[in-house]
Amino acid sequence: MVPLNWYLVLSAIVFMIGVFGFLTRRNIIIMFMSIEVMLNAVNISLVSLSHYMQDMRGQILVFFIITVAAAEAAIGLAIIIALFRNKSTVHVDEMSEMKG
Amino acid sequence: MLPELFFGYYAAMIVFLSVLVITRKNPVHSVMWMLLLFFHIAGLYLFLNAEFIAAIQVIVYAGAILVLFLFVVLLLNLREELQTAKFIRSWPAGLLISGGIIVAIISALRSFVLAPQGMHTIEFIKRETHTKALGTILYTEYLFPFEIASLVLLVAIIGAIVLAKKKTRS
Amino acid sequence: MPGTYLPSDYLPILVFLMVATAFGMGALLIGSILRLRRPYPEKLMPYESGNPPVGEPRQRFSVKFYIIAMLFVVFDVETVFLYPWAVVFDKIGLYAFIEMIIFIVILLVGYVYAWRKEAFKWD
Repeated sequence: MVPLNWYLVLSAIVFMIGVFGFLTRRNIIIMFMSIEVMLNAVNISLVSLSHYMQDMRGQILVFFIITVAAAEAAIGLAIIIALFRNKSTVHVDEMSEMKG
Repeated sequence: MLPELFFGYYAAMIVFLSVLVITRKNPVHSVMWMLLLFFHIAGLYLFLNAEFIAAIQVIVYAGAILVLFLFVVLLLNLREELQTAKFIRSWPAGLLISGGIIVAIISALRSFVLAPQGMHTIEFIKRETHTKALGTILYTEYLFPFEIASLVLLVAIIGAIVLAKKKTRS
Repeated sequence: MPGTYLPSDYLPILVFLMVATAFGMGALLIGSILRLRRPYPEKLMPYESGNPPVGEPRQRFSVKFYIIAMLFVVFDVETVFLYPWAVVFDKIGLYAFIEMIIFIVILLVGYVYAWRKEAFKWD
């Protein structure tokens, strides 16, 4: 018998790892991957809640989150490409000007 | 006994792999560890009786989004990245903030009460099959969000092309 | 009962994965124990007895690869939406058909836009 709390704690730990990566890494691609890790942590908690509540609406939400994650990855990586074209760096500390 | 064993394996691997993802210096290695991470999360979904979600985790996340990440990593120049420091100098502050978040979440779990049980029991899903049960809700109750999802994807296409495509100068 | 659920239908896949992993790692391990190892410089070249390589191995890719990959991601997600639709089609019928037509038409606008912007042109 695996209690629900185990899944929720796992999700919290993975979310924490994502937050830590986002705050401390300066490579914009890895910061972006940290966001994906955080999204997956949320998905784990949604699917486990859906399973323990025996209600599938949580999984529908996961479906939409994955759709939005795909759109977000497409746009975000395009922004990274546009930034790299102007600044030729992926280091966020060097992107400190508002003017392109 | 067996469910706990599988959960232990998946939980340990997921935590370990996410740490690897955020600590690698070379983004290509991060992407590779992330691939393994997504497969393990898909395996965890199977144990939560969500086989269609596990399938789209593999198809969309591992199959499509990571390919996009890999292309971008290869598109950009990596060489000077391998020589700069991995973390910022004030990384303990990051640890403090993320540790505060996890303490807040786990202390909130103690007063957590599960809502009343719904109708999608394991027997129901087994009889109906998971994809069919999911599709029935998605295409009746969640019709409007489903159409909005297409708009989100449309914005993704247009925005990505506008941002990434080189201006064709004549 | 949630918490004790085991996906017993997937037992063959678990066995398959274990055998595949064991076979892959075992073959590499046995090979590394048994094989002879007498390296000399010519043998260690990337192309044995060929031209020595010129330039950086990590060349920058063209941005066209990104555009194609991005279009693949978006239409992959669209296809994922088609699976449950196809499964429940006989249950919901015309209603489901119309909503999917709207969905596809909206995405078709993006497809036409990509076409007009010459995202599919390679040269």
